Amino acid sequence: MASAPSKLYQDDVSLVVALLDTNPFFWAAASLPFSEFLHHVIPFINSLLLLNQLNRVVLIATGTSSCGYIFDSGDGNASGNSNAVCSEIIKKLEDFVGKDSKIGKGSNGDGTRPAISSLLSGSLSLALCYIQRIFRSGTRHPQPRILCLQGSPDGPEQYVAVMNSIFSAQRLMIPIDSCIVGAQHSAFLQQASYITGGVYLKPQQLDGLFQFLAAVFATDLHSRNFLRLPKPAGVDFRASCFCHKKTIDMGYVCSVCLSIFCKYHKKCSTCGSEFNQAAPDSTIPDQKH
Amino acid sequence: MPQVRIVARNFMDMVAALPAAKLDKLYDSSFICEAVLRSLPPLAKKYVLQMLFLDSPLTAKSMEEWVLPDGLSKHKVAIDRLLQLRVFMEVNDRKKEPSYKMNQKFQSNMQKYLTTGGTVPREPMPLNAAVRLPSVGELETYAMEQWECFLLQLINSSQVDKSTSFSSSMMRAFQRGLLNSSRDNEAPRLTENGFQFLLMETNAQLWYIIREYISSAEERGMDPTDLISFLLELSFHTLGEAYSVNTLTEVQRLAIKDLADLGLVKYLQGRKEGLFMPTKLATNLSVSLSDASSRKEGFVVVETNFRMYAYSTSRLHCEILRLFSRIEYQLPNLIVGAITKESLYNAFENGITAEQIVSFLQQNAHPRVAEKMPSVPENVTDQIRLWEADRNRVEMTPSHLYEDFPSKDLFEACCDFARDYGCLLWQDTKKMRLIVKGELHQQMRDFLRGQR
Repeated sequence: MASAPSKLYQDDVSLVVALLDTNPFFWAAASLPFSEFLHHVIPFINSLLLLNQLNRVVLIATGTSSCGYIFDSGDGNASGNSNAVCSEIIKKLEDFVGKDSKIGKGSNGDGTRPAISSLLSGSLSLALCYIQRIFRSGTRHPQPRILCLQGSPDGPEQYVAVMNSIFSAQRLMIPIDSCIVGAQHSAFLQQASYITGGVYLKPQQLDGLFQFLAAVFATDLHSRNFLRLPKPAGVDFRASCFCHKKTIDMGYVCSVCLSIFCKYHKKCSTCGSEFNQAAPDSTIPDQKH
Repeated sequence: MPQVRIVARNFMDMVAALPAAKLDKLYDSSFICEAVLRSLPPLAKKYVLQMLFLDSPLTAKSMEEWVLPDGLSKHKVAIDRLLQLRVFMEVNDRKKEPSYKMNQKFQSNMQKYLTTGGTVPREPMPLNAAVRLPSVGELETYAMEQWECFLLQLINSSQVDKSTSFSSSMMRAFQRGLLNSSRDNEAPRLTENGFQFLLMETNAQLWYIIREYISSAEERGMDPTDLISFLLELSFHTLGEAYSVNTLTEVQRLAIKDLADLGLVKYLQGRKEGLFMPTKLATNLSVSLSDASSRKEGFVVVETNFRMYAYSTSRLHCEILRLFSRIEYQLPNLIVGAITKESLYNAFENGITAEQIVSFLQQNAHPRVAEKMPSVPENVTDQIRLWEADRNRVEMTPSHLYEDFPSKDLFEACCDFARDYGCLLWQDTKKMRLIVKGELHQQMRDFLRGQR
């Protein structure tokens, strides 16, 4: 369902759902402290709200075992001194991280295994549900987009869920922008921005994060037709196999449902179709690139 | 029919026309900076954000690299606007290349806003049990009533039950351009601009009136700069809160009475002092600084058989619909009419274009039909445009006819001459007649004289 009715609006009204990575294991070792990071993000949120009276910003925190809504600017208290809003965001973030680590410890028993990846699939789903609610609330709504501020590495076990959310976003025509504040590139987010038509950026200098955010990610969807925005050099299209969640380049694909496996299976675990081809021998079949 | 569009008389154009010193003084207030920022075109807003924390100027060439080739015209419009409003200042460095830097005061105000957040211009009054404050819904009905009363008085003073307290000279100033009295004994008739004004959205109409109000402010002894800053501040107040009149300056107190007549604020008498409450019209002011769409509920349903049902009780709506449709009957909550060829021809005679009628119908579509795509049936919109095109079957170009050529060679030479300039409209070689566009007449005469 196209968001065509939103064209009746002045063109640059936007709804930005920002997904903040709050993985404590990542932030403990990161070059930019979390408080500094917030010092860049909160003025960025203020600038989005400044650009247009009707803009809305929603903050969702991506934890290691859970995700939660932190802030919604459309919430009622429209005037509100921004200082109060800022301290409210910080307090909610602290509460969230506390709850999240408790959940993490609980499920892992003694908590010795550090969860190095954050729950990107969960927060993408939360964001898409929120936007879907906005779509159903009436004919006139802002143009939505999702901004992922990600630092932790990708968790291959989330591959299926993340790809499903990416395809939902593509169908709803919601661009997913990604800003990588960690050390390594994220294959999931590169694919997400490529497929949905968003912007993927890994800033070289994290001190100037606000400037990167303001120059690139504050652009509304209408102006993106006219401005030159960063394009990634190449997209990492690697997938994870469905059986072991390893990242693989070559593997076996079910011809019915397109699930990917690294080893030969007699039966597809997703759709149940049986493969009656005999098991291959150990020589590697020749590949066509 | 000349396509004269009423210039939406953008309020920001008036702000931009203020002298540089006054404009700089206006930027002392962070609300005005915010309001000006919100009124800019989208690309310009982006540029301001990008330049906000840069101290050194940036060359114009490097700014042009920010846009794709498609966007160059929008880029120019944005830069021009920023220079007009003195948000960007031109700096000439030694290489004589133009470079831009942001206005100091504007920049520091906006930096403060981003890091510490905005504040309200004045504190609302604490809730006082002695005075019963109207609810938001009551405020809205009050605002609409006042506004409609004002508009009705504007277009036809005889039809109004209660008139506003505007002096007749003020009303005449507002009516200038919208009405004219064709004959002394008759009531003034709406001009073309007047019709287009009525079909505009409420916010655009509001800004037009405010602009006229401010332009005539000097004659009444009010400083226009003060008024402008007060109006822009007003849009940042909270809807539904009461503010004390004692916090206003003298000029602002005079203005409050007029604004109450327009429906922008509601004036109440508190226990000790006067109170004013801004209505939705006021808080929407900064939304509509550029042409934004209004978010009112629509009320018109147009059917494919050209019948029109308008769920409204307002007399103003009835008058507006009467402009281009034939009203058949009026029920307590419903106006029933039909769009006919005669009624549309009448509208076209008065200078309304089909586009305005169609956009009026689309913007005011009832919520039930607004969700459908298209909200007004295509056969109706197509037919309205076709009927308008009926009046344009003949296109006129001023031209000259040349005949009685003495020889064929001269005739051929003239044809070629006209064709070279692209002004040849028609030729008849047998009878040696030529029609050439009017602008070439002088050169044609010189050419003919030269040929003899």
